Amino acid sequence: MRSLPRTRSSRPMTLLTPSRSPAAVSKGPVPKSPPMRRRRGTGARKQLTAWLFLVPALLVFGLFAWWPIVRSLLLSFQRTNLVEPAVWVGLENFRTLFDDPLLATAVGNTLFFVALGLLIGFPAPLILAAVMSTVRRGAGVYRFLVYLPVVIPPVVAILLWKWFYDPGSGLFNSILGRIGLGPYPWLESSDSAMLSLVLEATWAGMGGAVLIYLAAMVSIPGELYEAAEVDGAGIRRRVWHVMLPQLRSVIGLLLLVQLIGTVQVFTEPYVFTGGGPDNATLTILLLIFRYAFQDGEYGQAAALSFLMVLALALLSAVYLRATRSWSTS
Amino acid sequence: MPRNFRYAAISGSIALTATLAGCSSLTPTSAETSGDLVVRVQGMPPATDKPGLALFKKQVADFEKAHPGIKVKGSTTVFDPLTFSAKLSGGNVEDVIKVPLTEPQRLIRQKQVQPITGQLKEWEHFKEFNPQVLQQLTDDGGEVYGVPQNPYAQGLVYNRELFEQAGLDPDKPPATWEEVRSAAQRISEKTGKAGFVHESKDNQGGWQLTMLSYAFGGELQKQENGKYTATLTGEPTKKALRLLKDMRWKDDSLGRTLLVNQNDVIKQFAAGQVGMFMGSPGTYRLAKMQFGMENTDAFGAAPMPQSGGDATLTGGDIYMVPKSADKKHAAAAVEWLTFAYAKPQYSTEIAAAQAKALSADPKSAVGVPTLPVFGQKRQTEINAAIKPYVNVKLDHFKPYIGGLATLELKPEPPYQAQKLYTALDPVVQAVLTKRDADIDSLLAAAEKDVNAQLAADQK
Repeated sequence: MRSLPRTRSSRPMTLLTPSRSPAAVSKGPVPKSPPMRRRRGTGARKQLTAWLFLVPALLVFGLFAWWPIVRSLLLSFQRTNLVEPAVWVGLENFRTLFDDPLLATAVGNTLFFVALGLLIGFPAPLILAAVMSTVRRGAGVYRFLVYLPVVIPPVVAILLWKWFYDPGSGLFNSILGRIGLGPYPWLESSDSAMLSLVLEATWAGMGGAVLIYLAAMVSIPGELYEAAEVDGAGIRRRVWHVMLPQLRSVIGLLLLVQLIGTVQVFTEPYVFTGGGPDNATLTILLLIFRYAFQDGEYGQAAALSFLMVLALALLSAVYLRATRSWSTS
Repeated sequence: MPRNFRYAAISGSIALTATLAGCSSLTPTSAETSGDLVVRVQGMPPATDKPGLALFKKQVADFEKAHPGIKVKGSTTVFDPLTFSAKLSGGNVEDVIKVPLTEPQRLIRQKQVQPITGQLKEWEHFKEFNPQVLQQLTDDGGEVYGVPQNPYAQGLVYNRELFEQAGLDPDKPPATWEEVRSAAQRISEKTGKAGFVHESKDNQGGWQLTMLSYAFGGELQKQENGKYTATLTGEPTKKALRLLKDMRWKDDSLGRTLLVNQNDVIKQFAAGQVGMFMGSPGTYRLAKMQFGMENTDAFGAAPMPQSGGDATLTGGDIYMVPKSADKKHAAAAVEWLTFAYAKPQYSTEIAAAQAKALSADPKSAVGVPTLPVFGQKRQTEINAAIKPYVNVKLDHFKPYIGGLATLELKPEPPYQAQKLYTALDPVVQAVLTKRDADIDSLLAAAEKDVNAQLAADQK
């Protein structure tokens, strides 16, 4: 493995911490009133400028992010068809939600997708990056090929894979058929549909993670590997005792990002299977979509969205806590 | 420099505020600059349908000539139930919408469309509308909400060529579901293609199971004391599902691709990969014009095969006026509906002129049989008037036309049909994808779920 100088820097973190002006931390004598007034005046002007610069962002966020969030929260306590005035129904939407047996199915399926994603989608880019980091020739080509699926629009990629999975004339069954395997039903069976979705999602989303792992791997000092080698460590021990510990923070970060991303899975089940067969790929987001746009139950959709936001906020809190501890370690 | 920054910030904020404020003016309004009332209507054919578009433009010109002060602005937008409510709420919907027959009852119930009875009644032939067709556009109080176009009854669409290859007589399509089963098995064995395909997703699995259940004598909904409940566990529905299960797991005649919607099926049929499916003669247009079916002579249509029900489901396109149209626009919209859709389906002269214009393009489909919009006598006269311009092989629709008279034409389940279909989709999928699917318990669970939803909606 190649050794490259350590490139990690602690500088960027300072950008995230609030900066204080030198005057504010000065221990010197307090200036008399005129300079104070001048400084106060300058400060007020600066504040005004800062606020004016903030106005566009505040407006955009307010109109397109915060207001819809507040509106959606209100909607979860209302019944409306979006045409006539909304009626306040208290917690009824939440009650109806918990009475719906599909909710448990959707939560179970989503967790199953997350689990399969962790099992298959999470180690795959790490392994691939480890292999690619040893390649000396044509590394750029491999990186390009691995990243290519990320560039393909998701729906196009899914439609392509839909053909791969076609049980009659699909690519996978044709290839497997030549070695005497199959035909497999892939998306057409409750047992394999979710797995099929995860395989495509892994292929489609792996590129970014591979590049991040590669970047992290080249920043591991070569001396560590050399020292381990001198101590008689084989390839497996070098990976286990040198590479993985050095990648700890990146692995943890990508793990949490993947968790949050996979909980929100929608495009794959929507385009591949529509939630079928027999609700085997019905996820939480797909259920929200059905409530709102199929059944016209906007209140119920908002209620489930609200619950999902709560769950994701919890996950995000874990994420923030974890990243804080890494930055200080 | 700080001053420059401040100026930059101020100008930036003003520009953005102005842009955002301007967003409201992006909403299409029917503000008329020339003093004319502009009515925006769906139903304009896309540019690829040249004869259809030319006919539409001529209709618009004729209408505007006959109705000074009203301008019609056509839209190729297709009704999308997923975005309709949001568009309606934002005032972005046209003054006339075109929807499939599966939608009117839901839109009426959700009060997203407005009644047009009063104005429509002023048309002298209003009373001659086929009541069976109009019934599905009417609320409990008798108010009518739309004008139908090309109504149809579901039947059996089949590939005559595959029938011949399998040694079956294409002029004698299956009349019972037992015959469908054996024909499907034979097609599958002899040609390697799917003998029969049943839709199974996007609520179309439930929709097709409904028509199949009707053919077995089933009813999927009943009304008691003014409340609707789903009746999914009836024996006819179970029989229908048992038939599908046997065709899938005993005969293996349903092909390999089982998770399909209507477009998937018609696409496969147009490519000659499917022997039979439940559909209307109107699917001929989709197969030919949308999915490029070249061998259109292979298209055959039969009435819905029966196994004790003697009934079939109806369908069609409906033109409606959404709630968002104000009084003036709604009145002009109804004028347009009467002029563009009611009259041409009643008047032999207009129907013949339209058929002549359409037949100029070989890619068009003129003469596809429909249900009578105004009674059988009037339909016979219309058929005679357009006969010289018909470019579909009417012989291949003969079994359909001949067998239709004996069937009861049934509407969709009247209350929340889509919720029934949503509940039935997974049942159909389970039967098609799980060898050990327990039909009784699947239906019982679906009925329980959907009845809980219906009860909540009717509180």
